[in-house]
Amino acid sequence: MSDAELTTPFRQRAGSAMKDEFLQEALTIATTKFIGLRREAFAGFPEGEALRDRARAIKEATLQHLDRHLETLIANVERLGGHVHFATTPAEARSIVVDIARRTGARMAVKAKSMATEEIHLNEALEAAGVTPVETDLGEYIIQLAHERPSHIIAPAIHKTKGQVAELFTRELKRPAEPDPEALTRIARAELREKFLQADLGITGANFAVADTGTVVLVTNEGNGRMVTSLPRVHVAVMGVEKVVPSFTDLMVFLAILAKSATGQKLSVYTSLVQGPRRAGELEGPEEFHLVLLDGGRIAQIGGPLREALSCLRCGACLNVCPVYRQIGGHAYGYTYPGPIGILLTAMLEGAPAVRDLAHASSLCGACVDACPVRIDIPRMLIELRREVDDEKLAPWTERVAFALLTKLLQNPRLYRFAAKAGRVLQRPFARDGRISRLPLPFGEWTRTRDLPPVASRTFQERWASDKDLRA
Amino acid sequence: MTTRAEFLERIREQVRMSPGRSPASSARRPQHPAAEAETIRRELVERWPETLEAFRREFEGVAGVFHRTASIDVVPAIVARIAHERQAREVVTWHSAALGADLAPALGACGLDVHPMPAAEPSGGAERERLRTLAARADLGLTGVDLAIAETGTLVLVSGAGRPRSTSLLPPCHIAVFDRTALVESLRQAGVFLEAWHRDGRPPAGGSAINFITGPSRTADIELTLTRGVHGPKEVHAIFVEQPIRG
Repeated sequence: MSDAELTTPFRQRAGSAMKDEFLQEALTIATTKFIGLRREAFAGFPEGEALRDRARAIKEATLQHLDRHLETLIANVERLGGHVHFATTPAEARSIVVDIARRTGARMAVKAKSMATEEIHLNEALEAAGVTPVETDLGEYIIQLAHERPSHIIAPAIHKTKGQVAELFTRELKRPAEPDPEALTRIARAELREKFLQADLGITGANFAVADTGTVVLVTNEGNGRMVTSLPRVHVAVMGVEKVVPSFTDLMVFLAILAKSATGQKLSVYTSLVQGPRRAGELEGPEEFHLVLLDGGRIAQIGGPLREALSCLRCGACLNVCPVYRQIGGHAYGYTYPGPIGILLTAMLEGAPAVRDLAHASSLCGACVDACPVRIDIPRMLIELRREVDDEKLAPWTERVAFALLTKLLQNPRLYRFAAKAGRVLQRPFARDGRISRLPLPFGEWTRTRDLPPVASRTFQERWASDKDLRA
Repeated sequence: MTTRAEFLERIREQVRMSPGRSPASSARRPQHPAAEAETIRRELVERWPETLEAFRREFEGVAGVFHRTASIDVVPAIVARIAHERQAREVVTWHSAALGADLAPALGACGLDVHPMPAAEPSGGAERERLRTLAARADLGLTGVDLAIAETGTLVLVSGAGRPRSTSLLPPCHIAVFDRTALVESLRQAGVFLEAWHRDGRPPAGGSAINFITGPSRTADIELTLTRGVHGPKEVHAIFVEQPIRG
């Protein structure tokens, strides 16, 4: 998302998403399908619930000794001949990767889907340095050609129709393309196969890193992760520090629930365990392997209020079940990570003020907690964020005054009873069929998109005082 | 630029000031993974037919094609049939030592152009490039299997000398040959083998990549329409050989 787009207020971004009929249909179809697939996968997997608890406990245990596990990981990666780099900021991470590209004389970089490299806006930096970045996940490839950003963590191009993709391929690749997913996929295969074989640099994220063997783990369905880590002569993996797990035994617990949560598969097609550069006797694999450990706001949360969000596996399950995401899609959030978890990650990476509006883009219904493979309590942290945003007086003054008055009202029974009576009189011109659908300014903003229930003709308090049956 | 010391010190500081909040424990790792892996193998000597059946069900569930044959000698005929049905000729294979048998002569006799990968590292960049081009051009890639996981229908392949990663990746059709010694029941058991290979046991090969392959390459990135063979193989065949391949 460009800065220009971010200057559009969230409300407006969300509003235009809700008016986009195709987007609405695509979102409903995609999220509903993912919900069903996930449900089926866990229904046929009785041990799933216990494994979710174990996965969470492993993440928690790892965070409690994150320093030690990272030291082990670093030692093992280096023992295997890899290089480890440390990036506090996105800018630092970009310059580390760009330096590697320069030093190795790379001209083209093939990339497997990676949220971490989206987060640090790596592609722009590579282009500026004269290195052509090529996204190789089909969804990412499509949005790269369209100069857009992903709208879903695991299905980046769900907002595009096959017709749009066909037009895009015809225009950008100068190849006549039919609006048929099979044919379009064949075109992408041929285009990208060339790139895999030509590229000097392979760039990935990491779904996990196993500390005690120095292993970077990549999960893909297309096989691009394997290509990118096998064919170019240099491999760079960019990974948030929280992705480390202690051992292969721990890794298996996560693999058993990750794909089920994301796409409903028992396992994704390819899980690649990559251990440094190629070894003696090997035909393929990179000559150089680099691991970039990324902070970007994560480290401060190890002891911070967003600590739980460091357990996120980036499966996207919370997006699919979120009533807000289902309405507005990923772009309206305005940052790399959309959906309920995205709000927390954005606060983590960009600071709380960045989510002043987004912190309220949730009904706190808790569907995300149920869907999350590691049961992250997203609503709890959203409430805390709202409080923080309020304390910093980030909310508009009208809202703060309104809530201050409401607080007084709710604390004083006499005032409350008077307000109920007054409301009953004042609402008369607006209440229709048991609801208030339109209020005059300055309250009109509230009723523009929702109804307000009117004050009852007899309030509960009045009934309680006079009606004996109620108390019996 | 952030130094390693600064970076780790900031993490240490945070770790010190954050109390544990929810139940925390990492998975219990096997004490002696090689011994435990051996136990798993021994128990499966009895149970392998059920495990194989479970594997077949899951493997077919992810669009894999399952074959079963009595001995490794029949494998070339099956490979040739698959090739002929696809009007394919070019086959790249793992080295005979990695496959456990030299199938090249028999495959050649079936009219296929067979390119076994060398057991040792190619001597120069040009040779490396030539071999990679062969793999990229081939119609079929023939490999062995280090673990076959019944729970998920997954083939685990360890890279190394004579067993390039590209054989199971670049050709549009991947054929994997295995026997009962590769079978395990679950991801958990596969984890025990991974632990063993890295600690007190012997890994199947010395390469730097272990790939879990669960069916053919797939994507659903265009309108959620499932499409196979986007980057990796469009087809994956698993040939189970009843008589253990290495005798």
